[in-house]
Amino acid sequence: MSAVENKESWEPKIVAFLCHWCSYAGADLAGISRLKYAHNVRVVRVPCSGAVNPLYIIKALQGGADGVLVSGCHPGDCHYLTGNLLARRRFALVDSLLKHIGLEPGRVHFTWVAASEGQQFAAVIQTVTDRVKALGPAHKLVKERQRS
Amino acid sequence: MGAKVCDLNRVAELLGQWADSRTVVVPGAPPENSGFVPFDGKWNALLPGTTVRSVKDLLFAQSDMLFGYELEDGAVKFTEAAVPEEVVAVGVRPCDARAITMLDPVFCEDPDLYDPAYQARRDRTTLVVIGCNVVGSGCFCTGIGGDPHGKQGADLFITELEDRLLLEAVTDKGEALLSAAVLTDASAEDMEQSKVVTGTAREMIELPIEGLKEKLDNMFDHDIWSQLHETCLGCGVCTYLCPTCHCFDVTDERRGEAYQRLRTWDSCQFTLFTLHGSGHNPRPTTQERLRQRFMHKLNYYPDKHGVSACVGCGRCVNNCPVNIDIREIIRQIGGVTA
Amino acid sequence: MTSVERQLRAECRRLLEDKEVDVILGYGRGTLPLRTAPVFARQAADVDNLVWDVTCENSLAVYVPRLAGQRIAIVAKGCDGRWIAEQISENQVSRDNVTVIAVPCAGVISRRKLAEATGYKPIMSGVIQGDTVAVAGTDWEQVLPISDLLEEACKSCIYKGAPFADIDLGRVDSTGSDGFPDVALFSQLNGEERWQAFSAEVDKCVRCYACRQACPGCFCKVCFVDKSNPTIIGVTDDKSDAMVFHLVRALHLAGRCVDCGACEKACPTGVNLRMLNRKLQKDARELFGHTAGLDPDEKPMISSYRPDDPEDFIM
Repeated sequence: MSAVENKESWEPKIVAFLCHWCSYAGADLAGISRLKYAHNVRVVRVPCSGAVNPLYIIKALQGGADGVLVSGCHPGDCHYLTGNLLARRRFALVDSLLKHIGLEPGRVHFTWVAASEGQQFAAVIQTVTDRVKALGPAHKLVKERQRS
Repeated sequence: MGAKVCDLNRVAELLGQWADSRTVVVPGAPPENSGFVPFDGKWNALLPGTTVRSVKDLLFAQSDMLFGYELEDGAVKFTEAAVPEEVVAVGVRPCDARAITMLDPVFCEDPDLYDPAYQARRDRTTLVVIGCNVVGSGCFCTGIGGDPHGKQGADLFITELEDRLLLEAVTDKGEALLSAAVLTDASAEDMEQSKVVTGTAREMIELPIEGLKEKLDNMFDHDIWSQLHETCLGCGVCTYLCPTCHCFDVTDERRGEAYQRLRTWDSCQFTLFTLHGSGHNPRPTTQERLRQRFMHKLNYYPDKHGVSACVGCGRCVNNCPVNIDIREIIRQIGGVTA
Repeated sequence: MTSVERQLRAECRRLLEDKEVDVILGYGRGTLPLRTAPVFARQAADVDNLVWDVTCENSLAVYVPRLAGQRIAIVAKGCDGRWIAEQISENQVSRDNVTVIAVPCAGVISRRKLAEATGYKPIMSGVIQGDTVAVAGTDWEQVLPISDLLEEACKSCIYKGAPFADIDLGRVDSTGSDGFPDVALFSQLNGEERWQAFSAEVDKCVRCYACRQACPGCFCKVCFVDKSNPTIIGVTDDKSDAMVFHLVRALHLAGRCVDCGACEKACPTGVNLRMLNRKLQKDARELFGHTAGLDPDEKPMISSYRPDDPEDFIM
């Protein structure tokens, strides 16, 4: 029986796109501080939240990610000055469109986490994991085997 | 070959009897009348003309798995494609059935070189053709060598009479369907009536197809293509809906832990269709691609197989967003002096 | 010939004879009843083929990026004019190279609605008579009010005229405002219902890309769906892949789509393509105060930001 089918032991797979300068550093700080948080996150380090193409979020869902998190610097603190401000518009639209087609709220999350915010990072991961776990395994948008 | 009759108010029953041992598909009802859908117990009289998606979809699917493969215990394990189910397609038009006879030489006539996915579906599909008593919008089968009551490609041929259907078997597959309990024997009068009814739909347009192929032999570099192509969007609708178009792509896709080799539709109208690995594209603009479509239909295919690959179904005419009309193009080619 | 057509031909003849433009994008008679088709007029004699009526449905702006460098005149409905504004703001054509000939447009007839209204019987002839259209088959006739046959995109259009014009052949008064009632209605369904509705539309998609090819906003040299090395999405009609195609295409048009409806008109299988675009148009307006195609000098929405852009979706 696969892990997905065994509800007792199912653990969600969450993909997190973290910007190198703030959120990834914040995650690093959480690790250095030995903060405990859910272990379900797979991190993808990107130079800036502005470098996150909406396609990455959607492809992650297609590939079977149960949840996706995108995290960047706080507005005003972007290492590239405006990357996260452009991303903010983009993410608002992605979030809105995915909800519009009926993707469960709680699958895709966006947050700002600074390099100094190790505690906040751990809390974010815990919250996201709890929400995704409550939703169960992802099935919408997931690409299945071709039926011939 | 036998001939039977079915009362119009018992057609749903007939299809139900066929559905006992096979999957019966019929033209979808509007506004969702895109193609053939599973029979749901209700028989709707056919609309004049054709479905939007042709019957080629049943044999040459938009995507078909050729085989699957995955790693198991360090070795490659192959999976065969599943055997398709037995399908009876009811309400196919003569143009579509004739189109299938043009796909067969490409996909399955050579016993040493055939497409297993197409062959598997072909063997398990029975085409029940219903002749056209009324011309549809955009139809022109008689102008291109077709016949609204032609039996080419049909397994079973149905003529709609006033209050009943006349069913004539054309092949053994069609004959097998005539054993349905609800059918009664056809009378000589039924056969006579069918000859009368087929008359009017044959008065369709005429097109100058005489010598068309030969004319096109010398027109590869003709000006006509530079004039015709500019409004073409390169949308591919013509090729996807055309019942004889058969370009395909072969790709590998990962699905979970396994991989599949897939045959999918492709279109000579797509920009990258002829993109070479070197980066060169011999058909870089709509001019070359539009020329390709019409040359293939009206010159290259007839060269190999003796008949033009257009069956006059009218789908490209009705659905081209910019009203590029193959009938017009044939007329223009016809008007070209050597 | 209507008076607008007469003026249109006169203006176009002048533009070509005076060599002010290299090509005029307009409409000519089609080969089917109640059909017109795009025409490219390059010689003065070609202008006699130009027409203007409620069947001129094509979005001619789609050809503009392909004619880069040429001096273009375009017979512009409101939506075409807005696409030109958008294309100028995105540097696909320079303002100097395009002559906008605004024509009065109250909407175009939907071929799908016409087919439904006539019971899908073959139409052999059609005549426009003021605000009705008279259609006939081999043994039947019907007169239909044009207002019943308008494309959905035209029904919600409040911009009934190009935002700017070099030659103005008249405008239709635009009434009302677009509160996106269709989007609001859809939003009232619960998540599962919306998912089912979206899935049902995507089920019809055969991945022909007619929507993309007809769209004046889709002019990438290589579309993301055509990329390989790496391949981004598969080429089959797999439902998940088809959904990704439509979602990402809609997102690529966010803040750019003027809602001309060319996509819907081109789709052979009747997918409700504007379902996604309308939602993003509403978001563009409500979240960022942006409507596409009104100002050629405005910076594209997705390459701009405001310090107070909404953040309520951020955790």
